Amino acid sequence: MASHEYANQDVLVSTDWVAEHLSDSDIRLVESNEDVLLYGTGHIPGAVHIDWVNDLNDQTVRDYVGHHRFAELCMEKGISNDTTVVFYGDKSNWWACYAFWVFKLYGHANCLIMNGGRAKWAAEGRPMTTETATQAAATYEAQPEDASIRAFRSDVMDHIGSGLPLVDVRSPGEFAGTLLHMPAYPQEGALRGGHIPGARNIPWGRAANEDATFKSRKELEEIYLDEQGLSPDGDTVAYCRIGERSSHTWFVLTYLLGFDKVRNYDGSWTEWGNLVGVPIEK
Amino acid sequence: MRIEEIVEEFTEVEDETRLELLLEYADSLPPLPQAYHSLRDAGIGLIHECQAPVFLLVEVKDGTVRIIADVPHEAPTPRSFVSILFEAFDGRPAQDVRMAPDDLIHQLGLTHMLGMQRLRGLSAIYRFTRSEVTRQVNA
Repeated sequence: MASHEYANQDVLVSTDWVAEHLSDSDIRLVESNEDVLLYGTGHIPGAVHIDWVNDLNDQTVRDYVGHHRFAELCMEKGISNDTTVVFYGDKSNWWACYAFWVFKLYGHANCLIMNGGRAKWAAEGRPMTTETATQAAATYEAQPEDASIRAFRSDVMDHIGSGLPLVDVRSPGEFAGTLLHMPAYPQEGALRGGHIPGARNIPWGRAANEDATFKSRKELEEIYLDEQGLSPDGDTVAYCRIGERSSHTWFVLTYLLGFDKVRNYDGSWTEWGNLVGVPIEK
Repeated sequence: MRIEEIVEEFTEVEDETRLELLLEYADSLPPLPQAYHSLRDAGIGLIHECQAPVFLLVEVKDGTVRIIADVPHEAPTPRSFVSILFEAFDGRPAQDVRMAPDDLIHQLGLTHMLGMQRLRGLSAIYRFTRSEVTRQVNA
């Protein structure tokens, strides 16, 4: 692991490390997937399931569940304020990074990502089970929301007004406005196609290897710093379509490359592309 | 089971049991007959709206529907839905498909569980199944 020398090496753990710490009582594994059923087909022993729709999204307001409900959710999952939560999931940890971001939004201190996610664990032939984990008793005191990692539309207006860097992590077709959704993901619509003025297009998946692990620090620097000209001491906002793919990029910039200030605009294109009175670019 | 009976099976239970039912359906989809492997491997018959490679052929012969399908185990949600369609329609008269409810996915109670974001792939599977049956019956 240490060979990659990321800015925050401690936030990324290997499948080996997880295998060695499966029974630690101060660690809780959380599986987060795009597919709601996948956890039920088998998961790492002891892991609990957090679903981005049913657990993290409020069902009436377009927002996350709020810090009080979040605290309840943690207790239901056996997570206390001081528990170290290790996230992993399908699709190169895309949804795991999203859950990680929501945990950070609600101020959870110790969050880790298992590099390579579910696919790597399974490919290595490690144990999976369909047994539900026995829940440790937990207490959770709700923390205030950490606004420093989240951008709202007014923040994005200010951001583009100041000419600060904005990263659109969607596919090139979505960025260009020829596609209103990700190829093969026609779920969330917007009335107009294109991107937020001034955004540069760096598809999120460029940060991932074939085996779902993150690319090395050197490779990531080549993409985000050398090629795209982003600066670690700048003020960067990332967005996609609903804020999940951009969580992956937010994680890369913040933890693997050590950027000072990165915010995720979770309203993303499904908000911006539908807003009255805002400009877009094609 | 007929589609009405499957809907009943799903509406009688709570969300958690419904997830278990879906997993059972995902498990029970029969393996793709060997004769179709080359088609699947060539990428023919895939439902493009699905993120996972959902292979689905719908045939009507002498008024009877055949559903030939394969969905990876790593995509249990579309796999379970295809398995429901297989259970309800394979070997049944084409009329059963044509009379099935337009809002089947909603009637199965899946809308709120999956969220709008995850429904479109299933809708595409269902739309394809029905339009193929209609097209072949009218041909």
